[in-house]
Amino acid sequence: MGEREVDGAAMTITLVGANHTTAPIEFRERVHVDVESVGEVVSRLVGRAGIEECVILSTCNRTELYLHVSDARSGARAALEALTARAGLAPSDAEAFVYRHHGYETVVHLFRVAASLDSLVLGEAEILGQIGDAYEAGLQMPEGVGPVLHRLFQSGLAVGGAVRSETKLGRGAASIPSAAVRLAIKVFGSLEGRTAVVLGAGDMGETTLRCLLVEGASDVLVANRTPERAAETVARVGGRAVSMDEFWRSLSSADVLVTSTAATSPVITSTDLAAARGATASPLVVLDIALPRDVEPAVGELPAVFLYNIDDLQKVVGATQEARAAEVSSAEEVIADHARRFWRWYRAREAAPVIRGLRAHAEAIRREEVERLLAGLDGLGDGDRRRIEASMRRMLNKLLHPSTVAVRRAALDPGGLGFLEGLRNALDLPPLPPDEAGNR
Amino acid sequence: MILSLHLLALGLYAAAWVLQLREFRRGRESGHGGVRITAGGFAAHAAALGLFTLTYRSLPLIGLGPASSSLALVMVLFVLAASIHADLRPAGLFLLPPVLLLVGQAVLVGVGPTAGQLAFRGPWFVLHVTAAFLGYAGLAAASAAAIMYVFQFRALKRKEFGSVFRFFPPLDSLDRLNKVGLAVGFPALTVGLLAGWSWTLTFGLGLALEDAQTILGMVTWVAYLIAIAARLRPGPHGERAAAISAAAFVVTLAAFLALRLLAGEPDFFL
Repeated sequence: MGEREVDGAAMTITLVGANHTTAPIEFRERVHVDVESVGEVVSRLVGRAGIEECVILSTCNRTELYLHVSDARSGARAALEALTARAGLAPSDAEAFVYRHHGYETVVHLFRVAASLDSLVLGEAEILGQIGDAYEAGLQMPEGVGPVLHRLFQSGLAVGGAVRSETKLGRGAASIPSAAVRLAIKVFGSLEGRTAVVLGAGDMGETTLRCLLVEGASDVLVANRTPERAAETVARVGGRAVSMDEFWRSLSSADVLVTSTAATSPVITSTDLAAARGATASPLVVLDIALPRDVEPAVGELPAVFLYNIDDLQKVVGATQEARAAEVSSAEEVIADHARRFWRWYRAREAAPVIRGLRAHAEAIRREEVERLLAGLDGLGDGDRRRIEASMRRMLNKLLHPSTVAVRRAALDPGGLGFLEGLRNALDLPPLPPDEAGNR
Repeated sequence: MILSLHLLALGLYAAAWVLQLREFRRGRESGHGGVRITAGGFAAHAAALGLFTLTYRSLPLIGLGPASSSLALVMVLFVLAASIHADLRPAGLFLLPPVLLLVGQAVLVGVGPTAGQLAFRGPWFVLHVTAAFLGYAGLAAASAAAIMYVFQFRALKRKEFGSVFRFFPPLDSLDRLNKVGLAVGFPALTVGLLAGWSWTLTFGLGLALEDAQTILGMVTWVAYLIAIAARLRPGPHGERAAAISAAAFVVTLAAFLALRLLAGEPDFFL
């Protein structure tokens, strides 16, 4: 999928990967590279097929190998073989699920991933941490991250941050627990200093409990029909386990009530809640994230009580996704700007071998001419010979200085690429990588 | 120059309001843009009134144009003060339209010294007008918060997660703005009214209960006293108190417009 003909001679950046849009979960599970195995895969790849640097980004939604490589096709093939061999698959079995990007496309792809435009949940923040972890893992291995992937991943992390700060892509609630907390915040402004009660210690309840603690709820009580389960959850996440009796008593001062039990009929009725609240005047947000529902719908009719069930929370998530989708074009602009800047830096690196080649060529001529000159001057002492050598070297440096500056400028200037390419041909160096539009 | 600065301020306030309106219609959270433009308008507005004071050697408190402009400036001060709290940036959506009307009125009638003469002058007058303007601006801020509270409360109760839900501040923030607005506005208005009555009683002019300004002051004072009483009542008060605060603003505005039409003096604020 998506392979483009790439010349073999120049260094380039290449990517081989599979994600949630191209591969089913069964395939993604098999090619997943866990933290312990990253070193082994990188060691096996670097030094093979022209691969000089390698970073592996492997999450539940994607596994991608980023390579700095002298031969894009060979490097990509070796990376795919390494992935499929671990999964016990033939490379041909994986062809339908993997994608490859080369050069500028790879840069744009990583930046889109960092900006979470390529995520299952648009705008989610977790991916940036995962990219940071992949980069750190690469840094731990001497053969993993070199100057190019270092710069690429640093730029990727910067792009992720810039998209979050310059656009509203990361705003709003994108999951049921975060939507639940967002609704509570729309009533209370902030959860700091608020009391929250969680009834039910299932997975969803636990995730919501985490969100409440992160948002600064000062007193979070957890109740469960089986008290041991509540105690386990509290020990793992935080908060305070309470008995069912204490749960009912705590409702008089609670600000937020989250229910996520496995009960098949409502456990909170309007009558019970009204009795538990008594004369309390402050608002209560009731978040019923259980299915079947734990809270009788009539609870929503009580004064100062705001009741939301899983469908309501889903609506908030949907609205967030719509709002985030409207921010995609702004995010793409940020990405394109950073990608162009990175690619200019990457191409500018190409000036170094040209300058080295130019100097080596001139130095060879200088050495040859000095030897020829000195061979015809038998009566010269060592001091005179050294003076002649030094004079010729100075003259060479002065002659080469404007050319060196011109090469550096040409590497940064799209209009100067013809000059650079001509010089590369004259010096017999490999061709330049294409620019962001694919032009050489 | 005074008029040019007023026109600049008017333009910037209008731009800030249009920006907030656009953000609201798109259902986006309020950004910094509106606040920055409002602050620019405030700077031009304050410069205009400063220049008025220097030019005419008199505070811009007498006459329809100068008084409208001064009241608008105090209201913008409340918009900016509220905007320090990021949650409350959208308050400008409701507070800027009366500002636009007041500055627009000042521009139309002209911002210069009035030809009419007032018997009531000096420090008592300055205290009376300044306190009354602070009072009206504070109560307007309280009412803007109350109107947004009613909309946000209904959106949350009815589970409508559209523009109001996203753009309007959380209920608690609006409740606090309402409380601060009442806490500043009501005592200030009371001081303003007392200063006016003290002067008239001292100089033996009586309470002048038929006077348009006295009627407006009394109507406003009573309307907001009811709003404060609704807040202080025990039990859940949120939406009811907010609705009464909002109604108090409508009553005050209606009273001002009616009195202006029926009994207003052309050269004066009322």
